[in-house]
Amino acid sequence: MDTVEKKIFGLVAAFKTTPAVYHAAEKVRDAGFKKWDVFTPFPVHGLDHAMGVKRSTLPRMTLCGGLLGFMTGCLMTWYMNAYDYPLIVGGKPFWSPIFPFPVHYELTILFAAFGTFFGMFIYNGLPRHHHPIFDHPRFASAMDDTFLVLIEAEDPHFDAEKTHSFLSGLGGQDITLIEQ
Amino acid sequence: MSPSTDQQTKGPSVAFFALLIGFLGLGFAGYQGYQGFLLNDSRPVMSWLLGFSVWFSIGVGMLFIIMIWHVFGASWPIIIRRQLEHALAAFPYLALVFLPLFLIACFSNKPGLIWHWLDPEYILPGGQMVSEDVLYHSKEAFLNKGFFFYRVIGYFVVWCGMSAILRHCSFVQEKDPVLAWTHRAHNFSAAGLPLCAVVTTFAVFDFYMSLSYHWFSTMYGVWFFATSMRAGLAATVVICYFLSTRGHLKGLYNKAHRYDLGSLCFAFTVFWAYISFCQYFLIYNANIPEETFWYNIRELNANWEQNTWWLVGLWGLVAGYFLVPFFYLLFYKNKVTPHRFLFIAFWILAFHIIDLYYNILPSQTVADNVVGYVVNEFSITLADIAAIVGVGGVCVWAFLKSLPKAAPIPIRDPRINLSIHHHE
Repeated sequence: MDTVEKKIFGLVAAFKTTPAVYHAAEKVRDAGFKKWDVFTPFPVHGLDHAMGVKRSTLPRMTLCGGLLGFMTGCLMTWYMNAYDYPLIVGGKPFWSPIFPFPVHYELTILFAAFGTFFGMFIYNGLPRHHHPIFDHPRFASAMDDTFLVLIEAEDPHFDAEKTHSFLSGLGGQDITLIEQ
Repeated sequence: MSPSTDQQTKGPSVAFFALLIGFLGLGFAGYQGYQGFLLNDSRPVMSWLLGFSVWFSIGVGMLFIIMIWHVFGASWPIIIRRQLEHALAAFPYLALVFLPLFLIACFSNKPGLIWHWLDPEYILPGGQMVSEDVLYHSKEAFLNKGFFFYRVIGYFVVWCGMSAILRHCSFVQEKDPVLAWTHRAHNFSAAGLPLCAVVTTFAVFDFYMSLSYHWFSTMYGVWFFATSMRAGLAATVVICYFLSTRGHLKGLYNKAHRYDLGSLCFAFTVFWAYISFCQYFLIYNANIPEETFWYNIRELNANWEQNTWWLVGLWGLVAGYFLVPFFYLLFYKNKVTPHRFLFIAFWILAFHIIDLYYNILPSQTVADNVVGYVVNEFSITLADIAAIVGVGGVCVWAFLKSLPKAAPIPIRDPRINLSIHHHE
């Protein structure tokens, strides 16, 4: 205890088959855990539902970006054509919502894409160069033939011993404590 | 006992009522139209054209949807496609509904009642006759009665023929379960898409654009395609809702199907807005009188005050037909929750009819004022409602009559399992 104190990050259990990890995920979800994750070598259909993951709220960032872009377009065309340098072009009003609409439209698309892209970065906590699970000795095999379930210590239901026996009760093998 | 026997006892009576409503509606609209014909009043005759157009656009939309699904080899909509194939049974009856207009245009003594250019003695705003009109003469190679006669017959041959071919490929596959029918449907669709695109474009030039034959727009065919796709998809949503709550799609039509249909509805909402706005935008920006008059009569009276069509365009089309469905369909829950999705489908259909009003009905009547005409204001008449409901009754009857001709879903389609187990 007199050396550098290491914090517990979480517990990792390994599973060998897709159904095993799928049903384990359902039980972890039903046990009320919130801060946990599953690592699989390939996408597993329905795993979101088994984990109790709700639909992403990322579209809201897209909507905000789109609305912001539309307003930016309106403001920009109004400022340029009607305020800063009023100029009659083709007998049209200085500013109307119609003639500069392509500008509004394009900026809506652009900002919606920005909202989605940067929203995804924020939601995923990117950029991120390291994650404690990389220290797990079997993490490489989770990219190949192993399924890992990680329950983080930050979860209010987490208890090193109880969660350990809970994971082994689910059929998890090679249960390892990860430190950070 | 079982749902299928239940349907057999219930089906014919519903179909009978649909046909009865169809006859009553068409009877009333037909009587009004005949009176209009005798009194030289085109408005009741336009009601008939409107009633035809509402259901014809839904049919054309469905025809395109089916062909697009075939060409893309789409697996998810297979169980939905069969319902649309039943709906295509209405095309020959739509041809019959169009027949009175065709007869008035080609064989009556008042050929200019609907399409003014068909009558050389029709008086245009400004006091000129059609036969004295320079613009008519430069378009005469296309806009003449003989060519019109054969064109209209050709259009309906193509639509009815494509419908029959697609229905045949799909229905026969059940008794003759070979892959060849899937390939045939795919190949016919690949040929049918450009064919129907050209035919439908020229048909709407004839049916709707030539109502103001001085005007021209290259976007017009695409506009009709876009609005037809929206109407066809919305009608598909309505059909699938009722078939899945009380018909043979119960337990088959799931959340993922609704989500994908909803995404298509959303895509074509944007596409329709893009096309319609482009047409307006280009004409507005170019500001050439020979094009702008079409929008002018949809905005202004002779005294330079805004008329009712302006309100229809602004609140009906911009707000009702675009903004509301656009924001509504952005939300996932509104696409997958059955009754919410049904609501917006009905909404789109209602404003689709408003879109057809906006494109078909505004017309100029010769008058003694500074511009030489008055614009006929927006109105919804009893004959309009009777015609829309009447043609609808006939189409619903054709749909219900077609139902027993094939299994509820294409059970022998090679991709049917992918469609039944479709998930997000």
